[in-house]
Amino acid sequence: MNSETAAKPARPILHLLAGIEETVLSLLLLAMIVLSCLQIALRGLFSGGLLWADPLIQQMVLWSGLLGAALATSKGKHISLDVITYLAPERLLPWILVLTHLFSALTTTALVYAACLFLQNEVTYSRPGLFGLPSWAWNAIFPLAFLIITLRYYLAFFQAIGQLRQRYREGQR
Amino acid sequence: MTSLKLLTALFALLATPLFVVISAFALLSFHAVDIDLAVVIIEMSRLADTPLLVSLPLFIFAGTLLSESGAPGRILLLSKVFLGWLPGGLAVVSLVVCALFTAFTGASGVTIFALGGLLLPALLREGYQDRFAMGLITSSGSLGLLFPPSLPLILYGVVSETRIDQLFVAGILPGILMLVLLMAYTVRKSPRILKERKRFSASEILSALRQTAWELPLPFIILGGIYGGFFVAGEAAAVTALYVLIVEVFIHREVPLAKLPEIINKSMMLFGGILVILAASMASTNYLVDQEVPTRLFAFIHQYISSKYTFLLLLNIFLLVVGTMLDIFSALILVVPLILPIAIGYGVDPVHLGIIFLTNLQIGYSTPPVGLNLFMASYKFERPLLELYRATQPFLVLLLLTLALITYLPWLSLVLVELLG
Repeated sequence: MNSETAAKPARPILHLLAGIEETVLSLLLLAMIVLSCLQIALRGLFSGGLLWADPLIQQMVLWSGLLGAALATSKGKHISLDVITYLAPERLLPWILVLTHLFSALTTTALVYAACLFLQNEVTYSRPGLFGLPSWAWNAIFPLAFLIITLRYYLAFFQAIGQLRQRYREGQR
Repeated sequence: MTSLKLLTALFALLATPLFVVISAFALLSFHAVDIDLAVVIIEMSRLADTPLLVSLPLFIFAGTLLSESGAPGRILLLSKVFLGWLPGGLAVVSLVVCALFTAFTGASGVTIFALGGLLLPALLREGYQDRFAMGLITSSGSLGLLFPPSLPLILYGVVSETRIDQLFVAGILPGILMLVLLMAYTVRKSPRILKERKRFSASEILSALRQTAWELPLPFIILGGIYGGFFVAGEAAAVTALYVLIVEVFIHREVPLAKLPEIINKSMMLFGGILVILAASMASTNYLVDQEVPTRLFAFIHQYISSKYTFLLLLNIFLLVVGTMLDIFSALILVVPLILPIAIGYGVDPVHLGIIFLTNLQIGYSTPPVGLNLFMASYKFERPLLELYRATQPFLVLLLLTLALITYLPWLSLVLVELLG
């Protein structure tokens, strides 16, 4: 079984996940624009403002950034030192891809672990946050986003192995 | 542990995402000194206390939206009408348009793709030498980073905790100086007889003005809003985003509503990419500061260099090298926290330092062997890299001259800041 068939049952789920991410990102961005502009208008017209708006905007920045990063992972849009693709011989590239995806998956696994430890501490020493929600609820985005990123790197790793095997088989023929 | 860190560095060279590399470094470092790994995320969560951060996604969105609309073409038309009659008209127009476009879209490389395809054939048609035209387009790909509201300026402000409104004005004179020097050179190199040179009639000027009527107020809204005290820099980004959204989607109707989610996602992926590098480096920088690395680095350098000017010279060389290897966002995030305390130790003003940083990194974009502009232009115009190295050389010399002036005349960066308080 190669990765193509392995990924097949997961495909609708992946599709749904990307759809949810994209919708949430759009809503977050529009909300940030509207809330910020509303604050300016309230200050200009009534010299007042919503007390909760600025902390909420700052949380939304964090949420949108981390979700944006999760989406960037699935599209391979992360910033990297992209020198090797110009310098390395072409037949080495699939191998490099397998290695870097594995390294990324392992590192982000450690990040998920760290994020769970962090969240556990937050739950234990719970502080009240915005809108009366405990602070850990706002910070839950860390384990969540890193988990999505990690799963995507494992997926990419297995896909890269599948491609390697396919090339090998085609080479034998 | 050291060998694991070396392995991490090796993976950085193999095009592993930088945020992964920096996170790995932070995790390994804290683990080695027996500190709970949760500290990595605690550091990351501190980003929620950075009010300025909101301007990044909003300006990225506004810039992406502008570049997807007909705005670049309209700005080009307007510049042609007003500057096209000058000797070296089109070359001057190219410089101005590239600078404006980069200031608003920030992420470099986009400029070469969005405008290079329009400008290069036009320059060749007017009789400019091929090598000159290639060099001009390639090195203009990152021009304008010093003008507000460029993203690297904002990012420097976020990382160094310097006031954005000060950085915005600090870049104006150095940016103009750079433009003027390049313009003077392009005028000299222009063909004697211009094939398509013409003066525009009053009705053409009026029409160009009318077409750009909605985009023209944008710089004034941003700067006027901030310096008029109507809103802070973070809010200026929201006003810009809302304004651009209304103009391009509802007034010009060049971006259909259905395409908006795609543009938002594109912007958010770029922002997310920057944010996770920023988050990871919050953790790694905390470790380095905890280990007193900047302090020790300063003590070490201070043993050999006591003069501020020698330090600045070395800083320039170091940053030029960094700029050839790292993109401008990662370079700022990674290098600023280490250099800033050292530079302050030598009495360099943080705002001036920011302008020095950006100028260096901008030049690094066009420097061999791995400047991003060179690769972009090589890819877009299907030219060998070596040809582009040669084509950009005269422009590089001018940019380096500007860098020297900017570095050794702090007045240039600071006079407007002092004037505006």
